[in-house]
Amino acid sequence: MRQPTAQWAQGPLIPVISVLVALLLGALFVLLSGNDPIAAYVALVRGAFGSPYDVTETLVTAIPLTLAGLSVAVAFRTGLFNIGAQGQLLVGALAAGAVGARFGDLPAILLLPMTVAAGVLAGAGYGAIAGWLKATRGVNEVITTIMLNYTVVFVMHWLLQNGPMTARNAFGTPASARIGDGAILPIIIPNELVPLSRLHAGLLLAIVAVVVFWFLLWRTSLGYELRAVGLGPRAAAQAGIDPARRMVLVMAIAGGFAGLAGMIQVSGVFHRVFDGFSAGFGFDAIAVALLGKNSPIGITLAAILFGAFQRGGTIMQSDANISSHLVEIVEAIVLFVIAAETIVRALAKRRGTPAEAL
Amino acid sequence: MKRVLALALISTFVIAACGGGASASPSPAASSAAATTTAPAAPAVKVGLVTDVGGLNDKSFNSLANQGRLDAEKDFKVTTSVTESKKQEDYVPNLTNYAQQSYDLVIGVGFLMTNSVWKVAKQFPNVKFAIIDGAPANDKGDTENLPNVANLFFKEQEAGYLVGVIAATMANDKVGKATHNTLCAMGGIPIPPVDRYIAGYQDAIKTIDPSATILNGYSNDFVDQAKGKEVGLNHISKNCDILFQVAGGSGLGYIKAATEKGVYAIGVDADQADVAPGTVITSALKRVNKAVYDTVKAVQGKAFKAGDNFFSAANDGVGYGKLDPVVPANAKAAADKALADIKSGKITPKDQLQVK
Repeated sequence: MRQPTAQWAQGPLIPVISVLVALLLGALFVLLSGNDPIAAYVALVRGAFGSPYDVTETLVTAIPLTLAGLSVAVAFRTGLFNIGAQGQLLVGALAAGAVGARFGDLPAILLLPMTVAAGVLAGAGYGAIAGWLKATRGVNEVITTIMLNYTVVFVMHWLLQNGPMTARNAFGTPASARIGDGAILPIIIPNELVPLSRLHAGLLLAIVAVVVFWFLLWRTSLGYELRAVGLGPRAAAQAGIDPARRMVLVMAIAGGFAGLAGMIQVSGVFHRVFDGFSAGFGFDAIAVALLGKNSPIGITLAAILFGAFQRGGTIMQSDANISSHLVEIVEAIVLFVIAAETIVRALAKRRGTPAEAL
Repeated sequence: MKRVLALALISTFVIAACGGGASASPSPAASSAAATTTAPAAPAVKVGLVTDVGGLNDKSFNSLANQGRLDAEKDFKVTTSVTESKKQEDYVPNLTNYAQQSYDLVIGVGFLMTNSVWKVAKQFPNVKFAIIDGAPANDKGDTENLPNVANLFFKEQEAGYLVGVIAATMANDKVGKATHNTLCAMGGIPIPPVDRYIAGYQDAIKTIDPSATILNGYSNDFVDQAKGKEVGLNHISKNCDILFQVAGGSGLGYIKAATEKGVYAIGVDADQADVAPGTVITSALKRVNKAVYDTVKAVQGKAFKAGDNFFSAANDGVGYGKLDPVVPANAKAAADKALADIKSGKITPKDQLQVK
């Protein structure tokens, strides 16, 4: 059984190279469109890290990405593909928004843990559905999680457009009622230090989640079993581990991480649920998990990198007049190179060990 | 591995070589807030546009606003820039970015940004803001006008009325494929600007062709064309001959359904005659570009008006678009008369739906 540190040491070379290659190819695209790649990347870096305010903005995006990345990674570790992080995130957001508003008068000491619990448990329940379908009926979790993503999107339309969670407001866009003050994750950087910062206490929750992820997988017997199932389900079964039950549990845990991400977006950023908000985190999370090699530190760094890309991308548009799509191109190339490495490695394995199936 | 490294190194050299060349060429006239602009007398006015998640290529809302920005840049010699938002979390930082760089005017394109503009406008009282289709909304969800924010509203019901006149006249006279005397519309999400279009449309139909059957639906989306097409096919199966889309990108799917079944459609916001020639008989125009253009002009001329600003037939803020050859002369005449009557105040199109 490999220690997490050894795997990590092998890890960063390929992800780092893939990011560099992606940046180089991205620069090529910038050139081809007649713009200055140096100016583009200078703007990107300055937008992500140039001032304390920029750093806090990068972190605000990195927080839900980290959690969604943990969601995808914990499933990957067991050999499952959680493509449903986006849906689980939204379910967690809805639950948090509902609890935070319904019990809005309660003090923070009660309401905040309730809201966190609502987000995590709702996400966990939603993830468990896909896990259960796989365990009992063998339904591929890729299909179920993708379909469940759509399901929650439509349910959200119903809830927020003249439905049970709709709140009358002048926003001009469907939204739920505002959560109580006790459910809000406060801004943790004082205004005197970094004016206008949006960085909220969700950062602390994310750090705790990363530690929980690490502890769960490498310091508990459950974690050992999950990783064993991921490395070889038949061998694990022979060792007395029941893959089916583990599947439901792991998808629930995955859903819990993503649900927490959704809760944080409601409690820390918007203070209510807007129809269609937080688009894209669940899918970027897959890239984050892959880039971070499903390891706690890797995921955190990859999430910060993607947060930096997205925040820097804004400044790149306004300062260097580069299309917003360049950032997407770079992110896609990163994924491409990572996937290439995975394929190469899988091919090498197959050639090297003919009796792989135990 | 070695090959990857070699490739990377070669690419670096190529880019370094080209990069030197590229930076020598003049950078695009638009933004670069870092560079000071020429203007000898007063510093050039800086205008920033932040789109909503629909993106710049929606063929209506955002692209119209962008067009207005480009026209203003050309005519008024102002410095402008545009930022596309990818998710709702981006609105506040995108608006803040322009405000922090001391832009003179920051325009939020759309009703999705009412709360975000309120937040940022409060933090930057010396920067002027404008919201297209909205007024600032505070965290409680109530409208709260601010002295540095212009609310650019449109009387969409007037544009809807004009195209409704055209549609109803054709249905009355059973022109071309419009034989079933059934007319329909599809909105994206039932928000006020969308419903105002449809309300005006329905009002015109009930006035000119009271016996017509009116259908109404929503795709619940402003982007997904498949959903729009589904609603369209459903309406056509109920004999609808003229389909009025009020759903941005999703509405393009509604138009596709009309094309497929050989009936007619009406575009929205921008002139969408080119989207499906032969199918799109006209469009309900919302001159978002004019609103942006006029607001930039006002800021430059120090005539900025905070609070509600209305764009309607009276100031050419709305209208109807290019007519397909199948539209008969009497329909055009009726529409022109209606336009004149709206301008003079003789007709006030309803802004509430009669058929939900």
